[in-house]
Amino acid sequence: MPWQLVDHTADVGLLIEAPTREALLEEAAQALMALIVEDPASVEERETLDFELAADGPAAGPAADPADLLFDWLQTLLVAVELRRVLLTRFQVRLEGRGLRASASGERIDPARHRLAHEVKAITYHGLAVRATRDGWQAEVIVDI
Amino acid sequence: MQRSELHRRLERIDDVRWRIPRSARDDMRVDGLVYADDALIAALGDDPALDQVANVATLPGIQGESLAMPDIHWGYGFCIGGVAATDPADGGVISPGGVGYDINCGVRLLRTELDEGDLDGRLERLIEALLAHVPTGVGRSGPYHFERRELLALMREGVPFLRRRGLADDDDVAHCESGGCIEDAGPELVSGLALERGADQCGTVGSGNHFVEVQVVDRVADAAVAAAFGLALGQVCVLIHSGSRGLGYQVCDDALRALRGVPARYGIELPDRQLACAPLDSEEGQAYLGSMRAAANYAFCNRQLIAQQVREVFERVFERPWQRLGLELVYDVAHNIAKLESHQVDGVEKLLCVHRKGATRAFPAGHAEVPDAYRAVGQPVMVPGDMGRASWVLVGGPEAMARSFGSSCHGAGRALSRKAALKAAKGRDVRAELAARGVIARASSRRGLDEEQPDAYKDVDRVVDVVHRAGLSTRVARLRPLGVIKG
Repeated sequence: MPWQLVDHTADVGLLIEAPTREALLEEAAQALMALIVEDPASVEERETLDFELAADGPAAGPAADPADLLFDWLQTLLVAVELRRVLLTRFQVRLEGRGLRASASGERIDPARHRLAHEVKAITYHGLAVRATRDGWQAEVIVDI
Repeated sequence: MQRSELHRRLERIDDVRWRIPRSARDDMRVDGLVYADDALIAALGDDPALDQVANVATLPGIQGESLAMPDIHWGYGFCIGGVAATDPADGGVISPGGVGYDINCGVRLLRTELDEGDLDGRLERLIEALLAHVPTGVGRSGPYHFERRELLALMREGVPFLRRRGLADDDDVAHCESGGCIEDAGPELVSGLALERGADQCGTVGSGNHFVEVQVVDRVADAAVAAAFGLALGQVCVLIHSGSRGLGYQVCDDALRALRGVPARYGIELPDRQLACAPLDSEEGQAYLGSMRAAANYAFCNRQLIAQQVREVFERVFERPWQRLGLELVYDVAHNIAKLESHQVDGVEKLLCVHRKGATRAFPAGHAEVPDAYRAVGQPVMVPGDMGRASWVLVGGPEAMARSFGSSCHGAGRALSRKAALKAAKGRDVRAELAARGVIARASSRRGLDEEQPDAYKDVDRVVDVVHRAGLSTRVARLRPLGVIKG
């Protein structure tokens, strides 16, 4: 399993593992969507959204690290779900400089076919970590439910 | 995640208080103080919440102790149930981690003139109608839409803005914490993205632990105070739990992003990034304070508009105007907030920034900020339990100002993680179990119901017993659930 739920009393923790940093960001996105929709397999690839994240946003402090980029990526997806009312199921991430370019395929939320599970309020910094391991990369993130 | 070692350093002060001594870690500026009885401490085990109490004790300018209420459990940044007051005159900071993403998440209680018997044959219809009419769940928008200029006014003025629109009356304003408007809000500091997220979510419940619950008063513990609150045995009430929706989450997110690197600039070392903060008297601190207040006012309005929709449903089901059903606001209280308040510290009156993260303001009788109607008895404190057992109405207690910066618990507190609750629900039908206990539960997600099952929470009676004995807030009335809608 590239990602799993980790116990957290109030909210939900995710532990994600992948061979590369790009794959880690893609798996983290899958994990996030699996929290939002009960059956991610019910989401069809009907449209594709493109995302571009500069690592140093206008209000950013010092150079963003991989954890900040993971945070910003997941947060961007949350906002897309809420404002565009879409569910996303397939992700392609390419690191670019200290930021990323990505595309995500999915479709608009259809209450008749999609059983929604959680409104994820936010990604948190509590315990947020991205680290290189012997086999690749690992991330820990707690999301606010 | 690292489990806490601090439970071994806990010192029992009396039967409801436990100290984490400053000496437990070399970065704590003050002691930690946890309100709990023996069983609640034992149940906490090595939960990282105690580390979070200690983390908060490192914040610059913290006064008294880093406090935790008996519904304490692991959160992010502060623990849930955490209270901390900082002094701007002593380099005190403000931290979005002490408020949370759901700025001014809170509860509001409506009373009715109906008693349980009046619901005979109509309860199921009422709950189904609430589910159909009041937006709950992921990504739901509501019937109210506010243009940018209206949203800015709503965030500046709070519930009085809705009164001008005929969506609230004088009692709705008077019976809110801070009159439904925290002054000196800075809506102009709220980002365009937050405004976009908030445009059509005001008046929606959301998901997670948010709910609208129909309840009946099944025990009156203090008849005089209950009468002052307009509550009596057998009376039907409605409890609403929600916050500032996507707008508040975005305000918090924007603030944390803006604060990246800021603590280091002020020489502040933090044990948890989620505690990112800035001195209250800095430009960054003031910017967060202003935008947080704006989101808090949005949350008061959100609960007001949910209440309006609840009133419309009652009107339809009972075929009478809501005023004739007595569907009036008892009180609306915030439990995720930071506010500037006057408190005595070592005999000196100080203006402090009180962070309440999953904790409720609990001002006692006579306090100037308690509405006129309740000033003789104290501020109502609503403590939702779980959807199978009970919730409580308490009143601000005699010791709250001296012991907890005028604060009390905000709920039962979770006992099981969501993952553990899902596991425990496997092969069971939580909705049917609740029905067997006389509670009609409707949710837009079955998983939501499983995660929020009664066993996922501590026993609210026990939590309330601690704050009652500690004098933080005292028992007034117990409310038993009859029906609930959830996201």
